[in-house]
Amino acid sequence: MGETSSVENEFDDWFIESLKIYNNIHEYQLEHPTRVIEWTSEKTICVAGYSSDKNEILELLLPLKLFTDDNQGLCAERDFKVVHGGFSDGSIHCLKHIPGTRYIIVAIDYVTSFCCHELSSSNCCFLLRCVVTNDGFNSNLQVWDLGGEDCDVIKRTGVLQLKSASSDKGVKIAPGLTGDPCVLHGSQISDIQLTELTSGKPLYSLGKDIPDLLSSLQFVSGSVFLACACNGDLYVGDTRNPSGLQNNPAGGREGVHWCMGVKTDLSSSDPSSCSVARLSSACQVVVSDLRDLRAPLFQAQLHVQRKTTSDDFMKVTWAPALDNCLAVSGFDGMVRIYDTASWRPELMEFQPLFIHRGHMMSDDQFDTSSAVVTTHVWHPSRPRTVLSAAVDGSVHVWDWVDKATASC
Amino acid sequence: MAREVRCKTVEEPSLVALAKTHAATPSFKNKTASGSHLSNVHLCISSSCFLSGAGQDVGRSCILVSIGGKNIMLDCGMHMGFNDDRRFPDFSYITQQGRLTEFLDCVIISHFHLDHCGALPYMSEMVGYDGPIYMTHPTKAICPILLEDFRKITVDKKGETNFFTSQMIKDCMKKVVPLNLHQTVQVDDELEIKAYYAGHVLGAAMVQIKVGSESVVYTGDYNMTPDRHLGAAWIDKCRPDILISESTYATTIRDSKRCRERDFLKKVHETVERGGKVLIPVFALGRAQELCILLETFWERMNMKAPIYFSTGLTEKANHYYKLFITWTNQKIRKTFVQRNMFEFKHIKAFDRSYADNPGPMVVFATPGMLHAGQSLQIFKKWAGNEKNMIIMPGYCVQGTIGHKILNGQKKLEMENRQTVIEIERCEPGCCHLSLEVKLQVEYMSFSAHADAKGIMQLIRMAEPRNMLLVHGEAKKMEFLKDKIEQEFTINCFMPANGETTTVITNPSVPVDISLNLLKREMALGGPLPDPKKPRTMHGTLIMKDNSLRLVSPEQALKELGLNEHQLRFTCRVQLQDPHSDPDTLSRIYTHLKSVLKGYTIQHLPDGTVMVESIVIKVSSSAEEPNTKVLLLSWSYQDEDLGSFLSTLLKKGLPSGLSSM
Repeated sequence: MGETSSVENEFDDWFIESLKIYNNIHEYQLEHPTRVIEWTSEKTICVAGYSSDKNEILELLLPLKLFTDDNQGLCAERDFKVVHGGFSDGSIHCLKHIPGTRYIIVAIDYVTSFCCHELSSSNCCFLLRCVVTNDGFNSNLQVWDLGGEDCDVIKRTGVLQLKSASSDKGVKIAPGLTGDPCVLHGSQISDIQLTELTSGKPLYSLGKDIPDLLSSLQFVSGSVFLACACNGDLYVGDTRNPSGLQNNPAGGREGVHWCMGVKTDLSSSDPSSCSVARLSSACQVVVSDLRDLRAPLFQAQLHVQRKTTSDDFMKVTWAPALDNCLAVSGFDGMVRIYDTASWRPELMEFQPLFIHRGHMMSDDQFDTSSAVVTTHVWHPSRPRTVLSAAVDGSVHVWDWVDKATASC
Repeated sequence: MAREVRCKTVEEPSLVALAKTHAATPSFKNKTASGSHLSNVHLCISSSCFLSGAGQDVGRSCILVSIGGKNIMLDCGMHMGFNDDRRFPDFSYITQQGRLTEFLDCVIISHFHLDHCGALPYMSEMVGYDGPIYMTHPTKAICPILLEDFRKITVDKKGETNFFTSQMIKDCMKKVVPLNLHQTVQVDDELEIKAYYAGHVLGAAMVQIKVGSESVVYTGDYNMTPDRHLGAAWIDKCRPDILISESTYATTIRDSKRCRERDFLKKVHETVERGGKVLIPVFALGRAQELCILLETFWERMNMKAPIYFSTGLTEKANHYYKLFITWTNQKIRKTFVQRNMFEFKHIKAFDRSYADNPGPMVVFATPGMLHAGQSLQIFKKWAGNEKNMIIMPGYCVQGTIGHKILNGQKKLEMENRQTVIEIERCEPGCCHLSLEVKLQVEYMSFSAHADAKGIMQLIRMAEPRNMLLVHGEAKKMEFLKDKIEQEFTINCFMPANGETTTVITNPSVPVDISLNLLKREMALGGPLPDPKKPRTMHGTLIMKDNSLRLVSPEQALKELGLNEHQLRFTCRVQLQDPHSDPDTLSRIYTHLKSVLKGYTIQHLPDGTVMVESIVIKVSSSAEEPNTKVLLLSWSYQDEDLGSFLSTLLKKGLPSGLSSM
């Protein structure tokens, strides 16, 4: 009894605190958890399930209340609208929208029932990493049409079979930024390939035999892309020049998993201005820029008590509309926002600017130990608005109060 | 015919769902003619139109169900967006003229919201219906108050005619029969209804309608997540043939209650902190109590000192209702009520008219909720001119009310009412058009509790219907949900639009009682022991009497029905080429049958006949053609199987090697 009330107290304390620390917060409960949140337009996002068999892909319209600045009080609309939905037979670990189209590209993992049984008992996150199938192919990439006004069903329009998908890890995708719809994909550095969506024709492939597993992939301009290997190595490639691949070993340590977040400024034609943040499973962040990827501009040790042994949900992102800020999640039930302005070249511990603890304050089952954030994304233009999802199926949209401006 | 058995043909059972708006449909009229249909359900969705009013969808519910020859009207709602005839359902396609009484067996109202009960007095008193109207106790208590409020706005304020009167509301309510939760009510010998808890608002119910083995569940509006004063909707695994669910929010994923409450607290907190006054116009029951509990719970924790008031009179009235309807609230409130009155608040005090002029911050809950009259309007007029103040509208407002106007962003209000002259002191002297400038902050917050896509799935999982019918949604936007329901539950999902007809085939099981004697007799005949998984043929007589089906032995049927047994014999001639004398042929037949029919009683009688059980066989031939034998077979109706077998057997002729003995 006493325990319940202390839990309730903690819950209520956070509730009261939330009045002061958030301008807006919306909490939604999906039927199935998602590990992808992808913007498909200014006001819509895509989420998708990652369970072993039947999954849904949903395109959600964000509530009007989030977009009305004048007279916000008169707008009572605060629900997500499911504008389009579809069914997928595999687990979706990666989903990207092709800019300027109604297409999304999805990396699907098929998991045999054998793997399910073996792995689901240890940790559901592991399930995604295992992509053994009965029918001879591993992951595949699927193109889905989100559909228009006349129908709310998302339909699969094509499958890109990956001839060289030799690894048992999920494929990473990066949609092309300019020109005809195309997609860069791969599961290892050596697999990386640019495929034209309409024809399925490979436009570029890397001629190098580097078997390192790929953890993140992103274009920084029309042709230049960045690839981060799981061991922390960074590669800079150019789709116009298959032979030119620049390797920047990060001195990644054994047994440590790395992922990357890139801040691109698409308005500037010079890709060298973009900042790259690499996050390690040892909770370190190393920031560098394209001019010299070898030497860290600055770095930080994050104070995080890991609640999961899986590296699957690790994510670091730069705020698109807020200088020097990045968000980190995937270690526990929190999303942490850091201001890198005070960081230094030497490794030091830094405190976050803001912590979103909402996913640990679930209404139904208060269980702080099991809550793990699966993914987060920034709102493209509202500086302090972030969307985050957790393993319990919760999706939060929050907009925190900037203490600096609030106090003056 | 040997005997007479009363048995009507039972047509292939089918469920038909119809959705029509205009053309008068005869299918609903032939109540008497449909008596022979054991299991027909017609569903006529009279309307499902929507308008967007200040961000909230409000439609009109009125569904007609015909099940097993019984006609039931589910809800009788008013469309809040129209000011003309279109606001009421078009009853002309039930009947072109005359009263509805003869066409309807009963009317059921799910809850007290006007889009579900607003047309009730019009239907019963102006169109004409004298049969029973079922609703729960709380709905029965609250519904007339809301109807009277609405009538006042429409007739007294807007000056409309052709509307129902106060007396009509009273007369209509006299026809109401109250329902208790989970109590099965027998409307007549065949039709029964049962109410289930729906959450949503105080007294909201889902209803199960049952005729024989067929049933329909209608949800009304429901909520699958409990809130501060109501529980979540619940239904048992009743496996109805059709589950009719509202789907207004079917394509939404609802923001959590907690965040809605947080926003409410945040607004109140901000206003009080800056020294402003907060007015919350509410209806006396429901949302008011929920928000009071919320403020009461967090007032101290938020370090708030400002007073909170609740309109006088309301507290007592509301407490009275909640005492009566305590079973309709959630568990926590029910538990607390044992110790003390849940609605006796520590921080919330009774309001006095004079308090409105007190300086400093305060929070006031006042009625009515739509600012059309009374205390809430008076306070609003006093506070509207100060931008530090705030008004929070927690619910929907009908057209023509001040509430509706300010929710649409109107900043200047014309006050045509004479009384306001005295009250509006801020008016410039000499100004003849009295207008009120709205400077205070207006906040619209929806706390309405409806099932979203997940809630609909949860309810289907609970009730396990054989077919699903979604009403009130936009079919084009619900294809995905339909696919999802059909895939997950392997049932059909229908979304009838206006004017669309849906037909559903069902397989109702028809229970038949078998007499013990008949069973014993079957057992005595031997054969394998009865196995529930294997069908077995047996003979008997089906009696349909007093709404029951029984299978008995023919003897018993004759006895019960007082009938004499008639003998029915079949005779058949079989020609046979057999170059023997007639007696020899008969002997050869005897030998043949003896060898073929083992275990049957076969006798060669001295009168020149062979008897197989009761079947008589004689042989004759003409003098001209002595080798052409004519076999005469005769058997009674009861031995039809054996008789037919013998005639077929003998037509094949006799084997050559038979001795004639």
